[in-house]
Amino acid sequence: MGRTLSSITQVFLQEQAAFARFRRALRREDQHALDDLFVSARQHLAAVSYAAHALPFEVFLLSMLLEEHKEVIRLRQMLEDLQHQRK
Amino acid sequence: MEILGWLLDIYANREDGLVLWLIGEDGKRYRLHQAFSVTFYAAGPAPRLRVLWQFLRDQPQPVLLARTERRELFHSQPIPLLAARVLNAADQPSLFKAASKAFPDLTYYDADIPLALRYHAVYHTFPLAYCRVRVDAKNQIQHIEPLNSPWDIDSVYPPLRILTISPEHDPSHAPPQSLKIHYEHNEYELPLKPTRSLLIGLAALLRRYDPDLILSAWGDTWLLPYLLEYSRALNIPLPLNREAKRSIDQRPDRTYFAYGQVIYRGRQIRLFGRGHIDVCNAVLFGDYGLDGVLEMARVTGLPLQGAARLSPGTGISSMQMITALQDQILVPWHKQQAERPKTALDLIQSDRGGLVYQPLIGLHKNVAEIDFISMYPSIMVHFNISPETVGEHLPNAQPVPALNLFVDQQNYGLVPRTLEPLLNKRINLKTHLASLPRWDPRRKRYKAWASAHKWLLVTCFGYLGYKNARFGRIESHESVTAYGREALLIAKEVAEDMGFTVLHMYVDGMWIKKEGASHADDFQPVLDTIIERTGLPIALDGIYRWIAFLSSRLDKRVPVANRYFGVFQDGSLKMRGIETRRKDTPPFIAQTQRTMLERLAKVQDANQLSQALPELVHILRQCLADLRAYRIPIKQMLVSQKLSRTIEEYRTPSPAARAAAQLQAIGKITKPGQRVRFVYTRGKPGVYAWDLPTPPEPAILDIERYTTLLLRASSTVFQPFGVDEESLRDWVIANAGYAAPPGILSGGKSRAPLWTASLSV
Repeated sequence: MGRTLSSITQVFLQEQAAFARFRRALRREDQHALDDLFVSARQHLAAVSYAAHALPFEVFLLSMLLEEHKEVIRLRQMLEDLQHQRK
Repeated sequence: MEILGWLLDIYANREDGLVLWLIGEDGKRYRLHQAFSVTFYAAGPAPRLRVLWQFLRDQPQPVLLARTERRELFHSQPIPLLAARVLNAADQPSLFKAASKAFPDLTYYDADIPLALRYHAVYHTFPLAYCRVRVDAKNQIQHIEPLNSPWDIDSVYPPLRILTISPEHDPSHAPPQSLKIHYEHNEYELPLKPTRSLLIGLAALLRRYDPDLILSAWGDTWLLPYLLEYSRALNIPLPLNREAKRSIDQRPDRTYFAYGQVIYRGRQIRLFGRGHIDVCNAVLFGDYGLDGVLEMARVTGLPLQGAARLSPGTGISSMQMITALQDQILVPWHKQQAERPKTALDLIQSDRGGLVYQPLIGLHKNVAEIDFISMYPSIMVHFNISPETVGEHLPNAQPVPALNLFVDQQNYGLVPRTLEPLLNKRINLKTHLASLPRWDPRRKRYKAWASAHKWLLVTCFGYLGYKNARFGRIESHESVTAYGREALLIAKEVAEDMGFTVLHMYVDGMWIKKEGASHADDFQPVLDTIIERTGLPIALDGIYRWIAFLSSRLDKRVPVANRYFGVFQDGSLKMRGIETRRKDTPPFIAQTQRTMLERLAKVQDANQLSQALPELVHILRQCLADLRAYRIPIKQMLVSQKLSRTIEEYRTPSPAARAAAQLQAIGKITKPGQRVRFVYTRGKPGVYAWDLPTPPEPAILDIERYTTLLLRASSTVFQPFGVDEESLRDWVIANAGYAAPPGILSGGKSRAPLWTASLSV
């Protein structure tokens, strides 16, 4: 029982592997930041699979952006809370 | 004469046509017979069918030939056929073999259906059916009618005479010296040597007790071949068969690939007039036992000995064949149907399975797990999904969610027709089980039945898309997963609309929580709305006091879909994907992990969980001390791994392959799919096969490796508390002090150590 198409996890790992040379050339701290981005994309594998987009990397990028934006919202909220406390 | 009794065995016999064994209500065993003809069909160009007609007419086996028309599942119009009605069922296999060899260009139908299934289709009987039979003076059946149904849940079981025979230990490990024999209240041991007296004793027992079923351990692979060999050599007949004139049915071993696994099935020995089941070679015997095997036979129609050893899909195809025979739909011999072409985009849309989410890592409290009940079979029945109903747009057709496919709603499909009674029986059984008190003796039987049903329902989905399945078609398979994804997303939307947080979703299940929701009633409105919106049955599996979704071992930021453990409100544990569930974990490690989890399960208030940590460390340290002092029995240290290919095919031999090579060197062959048991040892080759003639010396055991495995399994339990493998190693090996889990020591506030670990090993 083989698979016609790769599973979404396989696609994800292939896309990540495709950037191996890019990652290698980055500075160590940048490598870690890049890894974080891929980890955040990985949180949304089910949704990427459901989207069944012809170019899955676009959806992986959007997933990274999504997690980044969630982080911005979280930090903004934290900042607002701090400012509120000061007043 | 009229006999009431249970149907035990059916097979073809050249002299009598069909032989049927009945366990009479009066305690007698009846060998009845019946003239039973079977028909197979051929389709193709008319001139070729004419030549086939002449060919069949000239064969020695008596056959009636006719031109006819019948429905093929994938054609709306009946197709013209040559029907060959073979008067003696015993002649059909040889006649068909000759015809298909001489005319390989023709398409054949109803050609290789097991005789028992044909019989059940005609008379609505089933294995172990309670029947009323009218026979003449020569025991020829005049009339047979079943008085119960395979779908009843309170049928009376036949009083089976069961003889259990097993050697005192695994023959692949060392040559056994004696056989343990058990029947009714008798139990004794027969030495294997001298063989002559063993055979004489066994033969006398078989004649005196006359069992309906021989339940053996390693009977297929060692015991019966051993007995038969000596019976021949010493010329002492052994009446293993009830049908004295028949020789025993022996089938070779095989290895196959199914559901992502290499599976090995040993050779098989089947008897006539009574059954033989080898509990070590039977499918899922450890899971559902004899009750499950009997149920499998009842609902699939397969004879007992076949049902015990069925490969995935055989059961469900048998049920489909009976439906097809009863509805006069042709059963193809070799399916000749290519997949229809689709665009790349259609393929990306449709070639997908169920939705598997990444859970929110961590410890969560008061979490409800809700599951769709038998989701895929329910979808097939509810939405009428069958190979012949899924296709193009027709009037009355319903679009499949997110796919370019439609399901005909006018004609009830073959697959839902076959599955509906099974699904209803399962739901009936579950409701019944829930209402039975814990002490009720029927619970064990019902649970075994439910387990057999589950297995059948799981394979029926795979078979819908399997290209070689007689009634499979990929579009119907794709439609089922599409409806499944739709249902799960609807369920997610319902839960979120009602204010719940969705922690995890996995194909047909969902884990949700909400502040203040901790009783079944709090979750009922979600269930009701999901049922209303999807049309599919869903149930609350339970509410966890707490559940921990774990991260990947390689990267703790990455969640893993099926790796978690938790405790339900009734105190029961549920674990998935962790070491204790894995078959290749040494038993003492699995046991230690389980003991730790059981300790955690005792904590009533989830907020107090971290207070149990010192005790977990203590459990680990004790086990470690035992390991280092060689106090753990070697049997508890065995690793059991499957060989996935032949030894020669390994480029870098796995530990299992190295152990198998040691066995091969002494002439014990391990085939792909078979498990190899070994211990880890120091130096090269790093393993020692357990089935070698002498046990390993304790001094060669690789204690360091076992220590790492033990720490790894323990760190899984500690993970939700922020303790990783390295910290754990520091605590128990490097003599570091244990204060509290890292999360608790945040903000610079230090607390007095709860407990201090010191190395005592």
